[in-house]
Amino acid sequence: MKTLIIENIDLKKIGELKTVSRYFCELPDIIALGEGDIPGNYGKAWQSSQTLPPNLLPSIVQLAKLENYEVILLSVSTLGTGLAGPLSAALSAPVVTEVTAIHSDMVIERPIYGGKAIIKQKIESTPVVLTIRRKYFEPEVLEGHTSSIPLNIESEKVQLISEKNEQTDGVPLEDAPVVVSGGRGIGNADNFSLLQTLADQMNGAVGASRGAVDEGWASPTRQIGQTGKIVAPSVYFAVGVSGASQHLAGIANSKCVVAINKDEEANIFNRARFGLVCDYQKIIPQLTQAIKENR
Amino acid sequence: MHIAVLAKVVPDYLVPSMDFELSNNRAHERFSRMLGLYDENAIETAIQIKEKTSGSLTLISYGSENDIQFLRKGAAMGADQLILVKGTSDDAAVIAGNLVTALQSIDNVDLVLAGQQSADMDRGVVPGILAQMLGVPFIPQIGYVDHENGSWTVTQITAQGKRELEFSGPGVLSITSIPENVPRIPAVRAIFAAKKKPVIKLESTDQKKMALNELEVAIPKIECVCEFIDVEDPGQAVRILLNRLNEERYL
Ligand SMILES: Cc1cc2nc3c(=O)[nH]c(=O)nc-3n(C[C@H](O)[C@H](O)[C@H](O)COP(=O)(O)OP(=O)(O)OC[C@H]3O[C@@H](n4cnc5c(N)ncnc54)[C@H](O)[C@@H]3O)c2cc1C
Ligand SMILES: Nc1ncnc2c1ncn2[C@@H]1O[C@H](COP(=O)(O)O)[C@@H](O)[C@H]1O
Repeated sequence: MKTLIIENIDLKKIGELKTVSRYFCELPDIIALGEGDIPGNYGKAWQSSQTLPPNLLPSIVQLAKLENYEVILLSVSTLGTGLAGPLSAALSAPVVTEVTAIHSDMVIERPIYGGKAIIKQKIESTPVVLTIRRKYFEPEVLEGHTSSIPLNIESEKVQLISEKNEQTDGVPLEDAPVVVSGGRGIGNADNFSLLQTLADQMNGAVGASRGAVDEGWASPTRQIGQTGKIVAPSVYFAVGVSGASQHLAGIANSKCVVAINKDEEANIFNRARFGLVCDYQKIIPQLTQAIKENR
Repeated sequence: MHIAVLAKVVPDYLVPSMDFELSNNRAHERFSRMLGLYDENAIETAIQIKEKTSGSLTLISYGSENDIQFLRKGAAMGADQLILVKGTSDDAAVIAGNLVTALQSIDNVDLVLAGQQSADMDRGVVPGILAQMLGVPFIPQIGYVDHENGSWTVTQITAQGKRELEFSGPGVLSITSIPENVPRIPAVRAIFAAKKKPVIKLESTDQKKMALNELEVAIPKIECVCEFIDVEDPGQAVRILLNRLNEERYL
């Protein structure tokens, strides 16, 4: 099936989509966005430095029709979510977002009800637009580069005024082998630094629940979950996090969850491998100290 | 300034996984119903724009008449009127098409806000489809919205940080949560006043369904047995925890 990947130039994201493309074709085409060489091999490659979906849309629609793509692959991201709905409507294509598994015969799976249920759907016609949830498909290692044709952008409906990326010291949250996450139970912004000190001892990163982000104690870039980042660390510490299904959706592929919560009934204990029922302030400083001493 | 917010009434999204149950492939009807979480963020954002610009705010929903009582919370928060399109489909194109009909029944909508994801279908796709049907730009994951010199300045929350974008004319935004749009809790007086606000009911119109065939909905098994560590002596507890993590080669 003729398949098109649309993604920013990012090894992991493109790698995951390349893996997914194997379900549909031998060699996909790509529209790669941003500056730099396009990593990996493709049938045809287009490139644009434009990254805003409303500005890209007319050119993508035109190209998709011209080339008769049957499958369009995107990631769950600001780009993928920005394109998926409009592309679906413009191409009269079914769209399935947040895909977590693909079976034969165009049957796909995605979670609903915050991950409390999984829906299986069969795609009955092409073209189809899919957005793929991060970390569910092993990224293909991309070798070599493909030269590209520029993608023409005709008009700019939306202007980029400024872009600010947060400086993160240490390991990025998505790749960290250990994640220490805080929830509303942390109580205030200052205490979040206790979690950072613990994470630093383990080459880890600090995450947060939506509860903590809503309180303004952690930046939205730290949010873990269905509408935050998807992580798959070896150990995930959930501290003062109740364990709402939408939060758990972001840690489904974590190997071991350690829950510290003062409510023994908290849902997080249903997902945890190890549980400590107590005020986190009694445990976190001790844990940090013990790890320091063990070195 | 006239803002429209798309809001959906959904089954209680905080029901824990262990208690979740299906009937006819959907959440069991015994679960209580409520406004979607992100839809409340969208309503809060819209109210703040309304207050700044002395504008008006219409809440639009596609669902059952029974949902009206829950939509009233949006009116109590500050929406001026409700429009309900009566329908039962979960198809994103059918929902978007019907919401477009409702939008076209009111004049001069300057901006349409939606939640980032519905709290039942979790897909984030309806507002994008709707935007394309209207022929206006769609931008997801918006935190802040400002109106200056005839154009919209919005802040998109990205995975790495944020970006500020500008566009003029109407558009569709999906709203994410930020500390500044935590939904207000309506006062008792506002709850009573909301009962008198107009509710317009529309019949649904025929819309083309997406070519997706639903095969199965299942509840995934959770197989995890938690080993509780005694915390009487916190020093001892952390030593046991670290030993266990090392033994099982997690660390
Ligand atoms: C469509 C949708 C998408 C969503 N996406 C996400 C998402 O991506 N990520 C996400 O996190 N949420 C998401 N949510 C929200 C989710 O449903 C919950 O509301 C949220 O995760 C709750 O955050 P919390 O656990 O920090 O807060 P709470 O539920 O308030 O839990 C706080 C916990 O802290 C414990 N506690 C309190 N004090 C202490 C103490 N001193 N020591 C130890 N424990 C203590 C309490 O016992 C409690 O269990 C989403 C919701 C919807 C509807
Ligand atoms: N039935 C509906 N009625 C009103 N708004 C809806 C409906 N379904 C979806 N929406 C809006 O579209 C957003 C995304 O929905 P979804 O694509 O289902 O995740 C929701 O947060 C709502 O703002």
